[in-house]
Amino acid sequence: MKNYINKCLLLTAGMLLSISLFGQKISDLRINELLIKNDSNYTDEYGRHVPWLEVFNTGYNSVNIAECYLTDDTTGLASGTGIKNWYRIPKGDPKTLIPQRAPVIFYLDNDPLYGTFHVNFNPLQSKTNYIALISSNGRTVIDIFEYPDTLRNLEVSYGCIDDGIKTVETEDGKEISNIDFLHYFTPGSTNKVTSEATKSEKMKEQDPYGIGLTLIAMSVVFLALFLIFAMLKIFGKWNKKTEKRKAEKKKEQVITAKSESVESKVIESATGEELAAISLAVHLYLNSSHDEESEVITIEPPVIRYSPWSQKHLIMKRVYRKK
Amino acid sequence: MLDFFKNGLLEFLNYTGFANAELGNVILIVIGLIFITLAIVKEYEPMLLIPIGFGIIVGNIPFVDGLQIGVYEQGSVLNYLYFGVIQGVYPPLIFLGIGAMTDFSALISNPKLILIGAAAQFGIFAAYIIALLIGFTPMEAGAIGIIGGADGPTAIFLSSKLAPSMMGAIAISAYSYMALVPVIQPPIMRLLTTKKERVIRMRPPRAITQKEKILFPILCILLTAFLVPSGLPLLGMLFFGNLLKESTVTKRLANTAGGPLIDIVTILIGLTVGCSTQANTFLRVESVLIFGLGAASFVFATAAGVFFVKIFNLFLKPGNKINPLIGNSGVSAVPDSARVSQVEGLKYDKTNYLLMHAMGPNVAGVIGSAVAAGILLSFLY
Repeated sequence: MKNYINKCLLLTAGMLLSISLFGQKISDLRINELLIKNDSNYTDEYGRHVPWLEVFNTGYNSVNIAECYLTDDTTGLASGTGIKNWYRIPKGDPKTLIPQRAPVIFYLDNDPLYGTFHVNFNPLQSKTNYIALISSNGRTVIDIFEYPDTLRNLEVSYGCIDDGIKTVETEDGKEISNIDFLHYFTPGSTNKVTSEATKSEKMKEQDPYGIGLTLIAMSVVFLALFLIFAMLKIFGKWNKKTEKRKAEKKKEQVITAKSESVESKVIESATGEELAAISLAVHLYLNSSHDEESEVITIEPPVIRYSPWSQKHLIMKRVYRKK
Repeated sequence: MLDFFKNGLLEFLNYTGFANAELGNVILIVIGLIFITLAIVKEYEPMLLIPIGFGIIVGNIPFVDGLQIGVYEQGSVLNYLYFGVIQGVYPPLIFLGIGAMTDFSALISNPKLILIGAAAQFGIFAAYIIALLIGFTPMEAGAIGIIGGADGPTAIFLSSKLAPSMMGAIAISAYSYMALVPVIQPPIMRLLTTKKERVIRMRPPRAITQKEKILFPILCILLTAFLVPSGLPLLGMLFFGNLLKESTVTKRLANTAGGPLIDIVTILIGLTVGCSTQANTFLRVESVLIFGLGAASFVFATAAGVFFVKIFNLFLKPGNKINPLIGNSGVSAVPDSARVSQVEGLKYDKTNYLLMHAMGPNVAGVIGSAVAAGILLSFLY
């Protein structure tokens, strides 16, 4: 019964883990960039200028977006009845597997027959000002991307300033939106296209001789090893105390035993050599000499560990000696 | 028929290494042969110098491009093996093995020795400063500086992230100087110490319990990785390996990590790093500078360790003093630098055995260099 319960618990834990892992992967997806008025911008594979949407995988694992839904109308979400009108991303297309930290483009042209990435709605005809990405169960919203009405009249892309990050925290702890009109059109690539200096370049500017980094790094190395030193010191002291306590307890036990036994007095007065001789005798008695044998005979089969590769007589040509 | 035979022969000759050889290839093949000779005749780090030396020879056999045989050609066998180097897979695996083989008892019994391991990391940053002054970028300077940590896997790990194009030169430089520790360190140690200091006798280390040995890797990973998470691949594997060894219940795993696994990875890392020194990518002025800076970083690291002990001694009670000849062991060339301390110590007092004491800062150096690599990674990458 106990075993059965354990198995059940293990199975449940495994299922929960797999569900959470699955959820974690799909939930990494974010609607990242949107362009509705497309007169002279990015074209689809047929050379048409149509509205496009970028979905970004914020995770560090590949995520398959197949069987998820894209829609501009979430009516019926809770009951799952909206599914009929939503665009279900077909499965079987290897391109639906989005690599880690990578985007995928959907064309919002209301022409789903044009291919996997052509959805069945067009925001230019939509009554709502949002696009939702819904998981394959039809009930869980992965992301909702709201946009201003003016986006329909402007040829500007609108999206997350930092890839997949919808809100950011200000210095005073307030959470503000990280979605805005973007400076550059970046379909299929990162939104954060800046000429900002890299860490290394910044370091060169701020600390051209490396003295600052040296001071910080040496302090951190010392701190890290000092923490280990302090830990070992404390632990050593505690250990010493425990050992001392144990030794005292042992001493007490020895004293008690001494008072009880007369023989111990004899041993106490013996010299080191005598004690060594006694110990040797006891050792020989216990380990070497047998008054009674077990009378059990064990026959161990011979084990030959060899490989044909290492057998000289198999791989070497025999040379017969002439007599 | 004769023309066909003649043309075929000429075409074949164009494919041979003789037709494609350049002076650079010949120079590097000679260097590879020197490495192998040093390893066999002088027994300088043979486990590393033989795979690297042979790798240099393999990497510098001239061939026609496009045959998918070179280490830099996608799809070649060597390129697949080299993947573990450029993606930083091998160094953590080597650290796992090092952890499974290292006995931290000397450090646990005399914890103050760990600070020597921290001081010796100055060599890394001294080389970093000089490299910046010479004109290297901060990323390149960081990768070059790590040679001073005297830790081959750490040097490969960091340079693969910060300056992949210099990785071959950095790895070769790090391993060469590690092999030359018995030559580089003693003059510096003698220069910075007095005769009186060299005969200081240190207190014998106390006996430590198994409980302490088991708790050490667990507490260390918690303390160091929380402070420098970027050093996690190295520190995590090092302490994991040590826990396998000290827990006493995973002997088989510890034996594998510290035996066959580390041997396999050492072969692969040595051979592929050697192969990466193809003449056209390796023989540059930069490489010469890297070798020079590597030597400087070793000198600074040794000097910093010895100096630190001398200063530390000012605050210690008589009888508790540390022999400055173990200061050099703060660099993590385990166990060569500890052996140098022992040999130098015996020269001045034939009954003063410093090996056990020197092993403390030596293993602390391994932790220290991994932490330093983590810091450089978080600041520059």
